[in-house]
Amino acid sequence: MARYMERTNGLLRVLRTNYVASQDEIKQYNWRSVLQTYGYLSPSEMETIQYNSRAVLEYVMLGKENEASLINNITRSRENARAVQDHITKEMWHNLNAYYLLIREPSIRQTIQSGDPITALDALIRHSLLLYGTIDITMSRGEAYSFLNVGRFVERAIIITDVSDIKLKEVNYRLDDELTLPSLRYLLYSLSGYEVYLKTSRGIMTPDTIMKQVLYDESFVHSILYCMSHISRYFKRLEGQSIPESFAHLDFLIGKAYNNLKYSTCDLKGGVSIGALLNQTRSDLYNIAIAFNKHYFGYN
Amino acid sequence: MTIPKILESYNPQEDIWDELMGEDGVRPIYEQFVRSIEGISHEEMEGKDDLAKKLFMTQGITFTVYSDREGVEKIFPFDIIPRVISSEEWSVIETGIKQRLKALNIFLKDIYHQQFIIKDGIIPLKLIYSCPLFLREMMYVDVPFDIYSHIAGIDLVRDADGSFYVLEDNLRTPSGVSYMLENRSMTVRIFPDLIPKNNVRSVIEYPSFLLKNLLGLANRQTSNPTVVLLTPGVYNSAYFEHTTLARLMGIELVEGRDLVVENHHVYMKTTAGLKKVDVIYRRVDDDFMDPLVFRPDSILGVPGIYWAYRKGNVAIVNAMGNGVADDKAVYAYVPEMIRYYLNEEPILKNVPTYALDVPENRSMVFANMDKMVIKKTNESGGYGMLIGNKASEEEMETYKKAILEDPRSFIAQPIINLSTSPCYIDGKMQPRRVDLRPFALYGPDGISIVPGGLTRVALKEGSLVVNSSQGGGSKDTWVLGS
Repeated sequence: MARYMERTNGLLRVLRTNYVASQDEIKQYNWRSVLQTYGYLSPSEMETIQYNSRAVLEYVMLGKENEASLINNITRSRENARAVQDHITKEMWHNLNAYYLLIREPSIRQTIQSGDPITALDALIRHSLLLYGTIDITMSRGEAYSFLNVGRFVERAIIITDVSDIKLKEVNYRLDDELTLPSLRYLLYSLSGYEVYLKTSRGIMTPDTIMKQVLYDESFVHSILYCMSHISRYFKRLEGQSIPESFAHLDFLIGKAYNNLKYSTCDLKGGVSIGALLNQTRSDLYNIAIAFNKHYFGYN
Repeated sequence: MTIPKILESYNPQEDIWDELMGEDGVRPIYEQFVRSIEGISHEEMEGKDDLAKKLFMTQGITFTVYSDREGVEKIFPFDIIPRVISSEEWSVIETGIKQRLKALNIFLKDIYHQQFIIKDGIIPLKLIYSCPLFLREMMYVDVPFDIYSHIAGIDLVRDADGSFYVLEDNLRTPSGVSYMLENRSMTVRIFPDLIPKNNVRSVIEYPSFLLKNLLGLANRQTSNPTVVLLTPGVYNSAYFEHTTLARLMGIELVEGRDLVVENHHVYMKTTAGLKKVDVIYRRVDDDFMDPLVFRPDSILGVPGIYWAYRKGNVAIVNAMGNGVADDKAVYAYVPEMIRYYLNEEPILKNVPTYALDVPENRSMVFANMDKMVIKKTNESGGYGMLIGNKASEEEMETYKKAILEDPRSFIAQPIINLSTSPCYIDGKMQPRRVDLRPFALYGPDGISIVPGGLTRVALKEGSLVVNSSQGGGSKDTWVLGS
């Protein structure tokens, strides 16, 4: 449930940023990399909509046939919440249910098709924030809260690796080109990191400092290392409620992933090197998620 | 193209250049835009207008009017129909502004150093020394890279013949650039997809250009310079702009009380102690910058900052004393400055200007007051201005008396028929007068101008006053790509 919620929030921000970028460019904006990451279209199907912002938004947000769509994410999150209603607060359930109803409202589809898509995206982002606020204010700091947060940060870290990879793909993993900077600026926008970047880097945009913030800055809430340290933090709180062997296995995987990233010797000036690190990190995160499913949720 | 329904009631006035309609109907640069909106129903247009108002409200895009008794914060009225400028026209504007700014900057350097322009008889000595904005304190102050006017807002108007004229140069603390940026983001919301479809050039780079210039002004020995934006505070009419720019550049927003001068260096108070400041983008007027040198009652400035500046320990943007170059009486001499300093003919024309300390000019202006605009030389924002054809006899007499008491402080210009641009008002398209303020940035690497600017609109029917403090509004400005 937490992972679906975080995925929804992350995806909304990615879509908003890409949509704004599509409106500020003279050249036709290509959504191909977003479609590749958040959809299951064949190359020929992709070609028919990749320059059409509204069609892409409709597919990624409201396409029921798209497994990775927002509407499916929210629906699954709600289904999961229904199943664990005894572990979550009533306010949280109400909010999640309202979120589910909101994305089904005809006005959302209509706004995407013919109105101002940012209005629809903002309404959904606001609801996402409301949900996080409700969790923070109403949930007790027990087992359920720790599980929620582990899921949230695992998913956030995966989203950051995906979004970073999308942007690197757009520039063919070349970071020595001036043309890289607009793409990386939109990466920061997607991760709500532009203002933080300006403050810490005096506004001088260089690809390596941007990537450093996205990968390693532990005070930036959308950096991968921040997420890793929070996965570890919330997971450790589960020790008392865990089978020792399961806990030890997960603790090892989380520690390994954290250290693989923190002590990596990645060349931040080289796109290929960053790409490899992102792949390694994504793989570590999936291993954590799989182990969680196996040891804590009984999936084999 | 045939006139679409949405423009059926649109009636531009004769003898006024209309940005949308020419003699042959809709001008080519507007055709794509008109085609895009011709199918939009009245209800949809109303919805877009409402959305714009709502967005300005929720995003807190406001300005403050000092004399308004009802409250301090106001929404800057925004008209949803963009003003369109062709790439050819923009090219002339851009080259013209660069030329003008270059000359004005050399003038400032000259006037505060050797004063060749006075010695060669191009500009009268009396004009400069009688200018209240000329700062003797700036004599022989060397400013970084000899740049005085780092940020300039040049007000342009278009007369009935379609050519652009410079109405004023704003070289002190020109405001409005945040509205240029916000207006663009509003248009993205109100008319989705129209910006890319119309091949409109982006203005998003402005804060990056500005920050790059500010950083470039820091002392070369400083590898990690601290840049701050000095604001007069929350009650300033442009406070929204100050916060927006500080946020977009990632620099600290400070008030005078946050800074302190020690041993001729400027420091910012922080929770970790004092931090040296290298560059100050100030939005405080000269008079208030340093109570030890200028107005002693100022609490907006920083005691001792003048000497820190004079010693070259801090860069101040824009330089102090720039008012002498945008004084409305000195304005009349800008074409001569361009010829004198650059040996070029001015690209952008000046509006004919009559200094009222010349007796013959005064007699001529008094005899034709109904055809003239009379302006105070050191005021801006639409204050201190009399428009002859709108003024009462009593107002004219009051102005005549004031002019005779202090003729140096007034100039007169013929009333320029500002061009009109379509605005969506009261449910229909109506022509309203507009001007244009592009923003030029002068840094160590030269002058750059983002393709766009602030188009201000006189929203009242028949009004020529576009200033926000006088009931004006603004609209997005589209410069088309080539």
